[in-house]
Amino acid sequence: MRLSPEELRARKRRNVWIAAALVAFIVLVFTTTVLRLQQNQAAERALLQEATGAPR
Amino acid sequence: MTIVTPTDLDRPALSTAQPEDFFQLLKPRVMSVVVFTAATGLVMAPGSMNPLVAAIAILCIAVGAGAAGALNMALEGETDALMRRTRGRPVAAGRVRKNDAMAYGVILSLFSVMLLGMNTNWFAAGLLALTIVYYAGFYTLLLKRRTPQNIVIGGAAGAFPPVIGWAAATGDAPWQAWLLFLIIFLWTPPHSWALALYSAGDYAKAGIPMMPVARGAKSTRLQILIYSLVFIASAVAPALVGMGGLIYAVVSVAGGLGFLGLAWRLYRSRAGDEPDKADTVGREAALYDVKAQAKPARDLFAFSILYLVALFSAFLVEAVAGLGA
Repeated sequence: MRLSPEELRARKRRNVWIAAALVAFIVLVFTTTVLRLQQNQAAERALLQEATGAPR
Repeated sequence: MTIVTPTDLDRPALSTAQPEDFFQLLKPRVMSVVVFTAATGLVMAPGSMNPLVAAIAILCIAVGAGAAGALNMALEGETDALMRRTRGRPVAAGRVRKNDAMAYGVILSLFSVMLLGMNTNWFAAGLLALTIVYYAGFYTLLLKRRTPQNIVIGGAAGAFPPVIGWAAATGDAPWQAWLLFLIIFLWTPPHSWALALYSAGDYAKAGIPMMPVARGAKSTRLQILIYSLVFIASAVAPALVGMGGLIYAVVSVAGGLGFLGLAWRLYRSRAGDEPDKADTVGREAALYDVKAQAKPARDLFAFSILYLVALFSAFLVEAVAGLGA
């Protein structure tokens, strides 16, 4: 099947944007994971300190 | 002479849709209002939030709202093609195929809800999912063609973003968040019906029972006036219950008086009485290019946007500057 130049151009542009969106999604998931880990660690530390009565 | 081979004839037509078309599917103008109102809810919520978490949450809400818009356009492509205001949309104009728009909407819905849940909490994500289903399923498929009250009930979808923003920040939705919801919910009917008054011909052609089509212009003008009174009361309420400070009180009262004045002028006018003859005179009417008679409707439509933005700006400014009551 032979694509017309217009179809080829449109497909290429769409593919570039799909790739960019996928990369952005990966970055967002990674960032979210790191932020959640930080939040959970801080919460755990606070709980530990509360339980042991250690100064904050 | 062009030689067409059997292979060319047999192959399915491939899409020539551009990325811009897919961006248009998200209804960027609606999305910008969603970003603004969701950010207001998020900033007004008590407690502090990591700015990066907040930014991702607002992005998710915006993309979720955009996904609902894409699903709406996929489902409404044929109807959109019949109306001047919407016939340039990607699906209606044939630039994006219905199934592609549908798949795009579903994928973005799933990703935005999932990421919001992971990033903040599942209550906020659930509200976002509910908003998408409400708009794309309940409003677009069920309400829009069945009742003149379509945008009254369907308006709830547009009112959810500040509640989702608030829920993303705190994990719950107290009465203050629902008051923000109420303001947008009651703002929608006078805003949409003002537009419908000078687009009634389009809606009639598309078979959508908007209020001016189903009940006539006179009844619509009266209902706009009544809804305006209730809406203005809800807009001033935050100043009375301690949610808004001095800036908000001034903006809500002054803007409310202006809104009421325009609604009264519209009620006394003959806006929407004349049939839409734009097509019959054979000219391409520009968007919102209305006859002088419909000017009060156009003025109220424009002012309603300004007033809503002013109200939420006042909330935002007071929340950021710590000036809220």
